[in-house]
Amino acid sequence: MHLTAQEEHILAGEEGHGHQKAMELLVALGDIYGAERLIPIASAQVSGASFKTIGDAGIKFLEDFSQHSKVSVRASLNPLGLDLQRWKAMGVDEEFHSKQDRIVRAYKSLGVEPLYTCTPYLAGNRPRRGQHLAWAESSATVFANSYLGACTNREGGPSALAAAIIGKTAEYGLHIQENRRPRVRIQFESIPEGMVPLAGYLVGKIAGKRLPVVEGLSLSPDEHKSFGAAMAATGAVSMYTFTQPGRKTKLDLSGVEECVTIPTSELTGTADGLKGGDQWDLVALGCPHCSVAEIKKMARSLKGKKPSKRSDVWFCTSRAVYNSCPQEVAVLRRFGKVLCDTCMVVAPIERLYKRTASDSGKAMVYLPTLGKQSASFRPTGTLLEAISC
Amino acid sequence: MLIRARKIKSGRASGKAVVSSCPMSFLGGIDTVSGKILDDESESKGLSITDKVFCFPFGKGSTVGSYAMYQLKLNGAAPAGIVNGSAEPIIATGAIIADIPMVDGIDVSLLRTGDDLVMDADKGTLELLNVAEKEVVTSIVRHRQKILLLQRSGRVGSYRGQWAGVSGFIEPGEDDESAARRELEEEIGVSRLRLVKRLDPIRFRDSEVVWSVHAFLFDIDAPDIKIDWEHQRTEWILPRDVAGYPTVPGLQQVVFKLLEC
Repeated sequence: MHLTAQEEHILAGEEGHGHQKAMELLVALGDIYGAERLIPIASAQVSGASFKTIGDAGIKFLEDFSQHSKVSVRASLNPLGLDLQRWKAMGVDEEFHSKQDRIVRAYKSLGVEPLYTCTPYLAGNRPRRGQHLAWAESSATVFANSYLGACTNREGGPSALAAAIIGKTAEYGLHIQENRRPRVRIQFESIPEGMVPLAGYLVGKIAGKRLPVVEGLSLSPDEHKSFGAAMAATGAVSMYTFTQPGRKTKLDLSGVEECVTIPTSELTGTADGLKGGDQWDLVALGCPHCSVAEIKKMARSLKGKKPSKRSDVWFCTSRAVYNSCPQEVAVLRRFGKVLCDTCMVVAPIERLYKRTASDSGKAMVYLPTLGKQSASFRPTGTLLEAISC
Repeated sequence: MLIRARKIKSGRASGKAVVSSCPMSFLGGIDTVSGKILDDESESKGLSITDKVFCFPFGKGSTVGSYAMYQLKLNGAAPAGIVNGSAEPIIATGAIIADIPMVDGIDVSLLRTGDDLVMDADKGTLELLNVAEKEVVTSIVRHRQKILLLQRSGRVGSYRGQWAGVSGFIEPGEDDESAARRELEEEIGVSRLRLVKRLDPIRFRDSEVVWSVHAFLFDIDAPDIKIDWEHQRTEWILPRDVAGYPTVPGLQQVVFKLLEC
């Protein structure tokens, strides 16, 4: 990799130990992926914020690292393992809380913005088209690339932090225009109501490492959010392109090597496969974190109804969204907990519940593994009916 | 023996090798307190990597593995160095944050647990102190569909009684094709052959030797050959039948690569 004189200085340790480590990391990853240089980034999104996912070793690393480092560009943080205000009501214990608190303090000292969400683009850190980013968090990465038109690879927690400290990232992968061309073309016969997350789930499986173009995809921004999150959870690629019915889209399709049509029966078959049981300890909504529009829509459909109280309910969102729609939040709170700063994937859910239902394709990947849950997929509408009467 | 390597994390390390031929994760695959390998799939399960040069093909598993490497370092249980076939981000990140010198680009199948290794990431080298590399040629001679196998006699220095191609050391200052042709003349008395194909050197480990084999395929018009003292028998066989012969290490691979079967 070719480094500027100033980058060489940092690598030699002339700007301190923290900068040196960060630069070493960027250069090593750049070499592994065949990058030729570092490029400036507009922002970073840092993952590895929950005590559940990074453990004691992660705390120690962050505490040591925060002694002599600070971010130099805007950087926001992924969800924690708990709601900072309602962790006791969630059932999180003191020990987990105190370890989580050490992580929170280390990131604050590093200068990472405490958004605690997987949807930074709904909480103030919204990239513009064409900007280069170093974002971790698979669902945010895919939304930034595919819907917002920014450019980012799926960073790991430490590499996103290193990029935030230096203000640069190695130029490879999705930072290069050539690699943003689709290689597999996917068409759905139809996507029935509530099945958008499963459409993403299937696209990820089919695409694997290949960037897909999804034909005739007419989705709201929130639907893109859940489609992409599921795709990034089952596949290895952090971007899709799409065409919309009745709209001309300029797309370079010369790299497409395969075309796949997905019959509706495959979507319903996937739903059957992820159905799980009918009894749940928890109904978890908001993976990725709910937008204002989603909170409002759910509040509308629950208004005037009573909670069925058949299971606990979590509505997960960012604090920014929570604070901006207090009336609707009040409606939802009658049916369950509206949690901020955390979610069903990174909270210590395995200590609290065994059977969880969700409307998220991404959650169907992580609830059974990271969360040790028996997981059930249901469309949002079905879950709202189940929690109300 | 000295092998070229690529720097991932700068630094120098020396010590005994601990080799795992399967991919490794530091989260769950290594005990961060004792440094012992826990992974059932590893042939080195139960061995400690602490202060050793830990060699494995590549990393696998959760990204938290990088932090587990940092924990291992804090516990004083880290390896002295890491050697990978091809580095991926989790192990590379862990090596950097935990300050463990690391190189990649090494064929881990050439390494054995217990080897004396010296790695220098900045120079881009890995030295095997207990291993010598020997440069040899081996020629497969083909007549129509069949290839020539020779059984090594009881008077040669190595691999007595085993089946081989026409083989020998490359002399100092000699290029490999000349060495191959010299051996063909000496061992089977043939000088008129057509070179059909050659392979980039293939390396094999056999006890304390790494054979660097320069392999050639020659066609011959008539199967008239005359063996010298180095061999006791010859046979013309179909290439696929090579698997049925007790051969010198790697011969089957050489034959299959040369004939692409």
